[in-house]
Amino acid sequence: MNKWLRASAVLTLVALAMMVWSVLRPTPLPVMLAMSLGQAVGTAAFGIYGWVVLADLRRIRRDAKRAQELGLAEAAVEAPAAEAAVEAPAAEAAATKPPEPGS
Amino acid sequence: MHLDAFAVIALAGAIASALILIWYLVARPQLNRVTKLALLLGIGVFPIATAGSGNYAGFEATKHREFCGSCHVMTPYLEDATDPTSTGLAAIHTRNAQFGEESCYTCHADYGMFGTIVTKMGGMRHVYLYLTEFRNKTLAEAKAEIHILRPFPSSTCRRCHTTSAPKWSEVGDHAALLKELRAGEVGCVGEGCHGPAHPWSKQP
Ligand code: HEC
Ligand code: HEC
Repeated sequence: MNKWLRASAVLTLVALAMMVWSVLRPTPLPVMLAMSLGQAVGTAAFGIYGWVVLADLRRIRRDAKRAQELGLAEAAVEAPAAEAAVEAPAAEAAATKPPEPGS
Repeated sequence: MHLDAFAVIALAGAIASALILIWYLVARPQLNRVTKLALLLGIGVFPIATAGSGNYAGFEATKHREFCGSCHVMTPYLEDATDPTSTGLAAIHTRNAQFGEESCYTCHADYGMFGTIVTKMGGMRHVYLYLTEFRNKTLAEAKAEIHILRPFPSSTCRRCHTTSAPKWSEVGDHAALLKELRAGEVGCVGEGCHGPAHPWSKQP
């Protein structure tokens, strides 16, 4: 997951380099490169980010649901609250060990 | 290098984004909400701002006279147009400060509804031809082959020259050919009345 995000960050830097080059030296090669390859690479990088973050949000929601099924039915854990719990420092622990019922 | 507002926005966005991304790559933070938000700015918001304004700046750059003159086969056109002693039509018009910096584009753009796009697609064709054919040609060889694709449309000249000014109408040929000129059936330059636009290309 983080590997993909690092790739996305590097791709973004590559795309930005092309765009900056085209702004500083507006001659045919850099301008055309920035407007074609630069756009494609930047869009791909943002696509990777969106995909990773969406997958992560889905995981958080799934974990929350599982926590609910494991005996928290009355507590009615709502997704945002569960997300906050997961993202607390003890993120991993919280995901696997649901809070005490009724807490 | 000239920096306008769009170029400045593009550079600022790139710097802001680069700072975030380098922080992310070096510090390797956990993927929590703060990191996601920072990356949304660094991979999404700032680069999109850079791309948007950078594309605009790039598009403007492609209209620039120096841009048109940057392939070697176009340098004689550029040199003549910017020669203060030249009496060619392009040179006369390039001296006008209002559009002189973009004089090639001003005369050679398509002014239809999708004019800018059509013009730039045509420009891509020129770049392609340059890379495949003209790159290694001498000026003399290129001169023999470079010619205008379609007869130069008089509508382009009529964007500025209305064909209704009194002094203009006094010219016998203008008056006699008024209908044809306005309909675009008779051109201003190709017919040999005005021009040559670029004396260099018409010299033997
Ligand atoms: C006054 C308007 C005007 C300006 C400014 C102008 N052109 Fe032209 N250009 C023409 C016309 C008109 C023709 C067609 C000439 C003909 O049909 O004989 C032409 C033809 C050309 C051609 C085809 C070859 C030829 O010589 O006929 C090239 C290439 C060209 N122009 C490049 C340029 C470049 C590069 C610039 C900027 C430095 C420029 N032009 C500026 C009006 C202009
Ligand atoms: C962007 C507006 C614009 C366009 C397009 C344009 N002109 Fe002009 N033209 C001018 C201006 C402004 C002047 C006056 C220049 C000056 O006084 O320095 C001028 C001057 C002229 C002159 C007088 C030159 C002289 O020696 O006195 C002729 C002839 C002329 N244009 C023909 C053309 C033709 C032919 C075209 C099309 C190829 C054309 N123009 C396109 C704006 C334009």
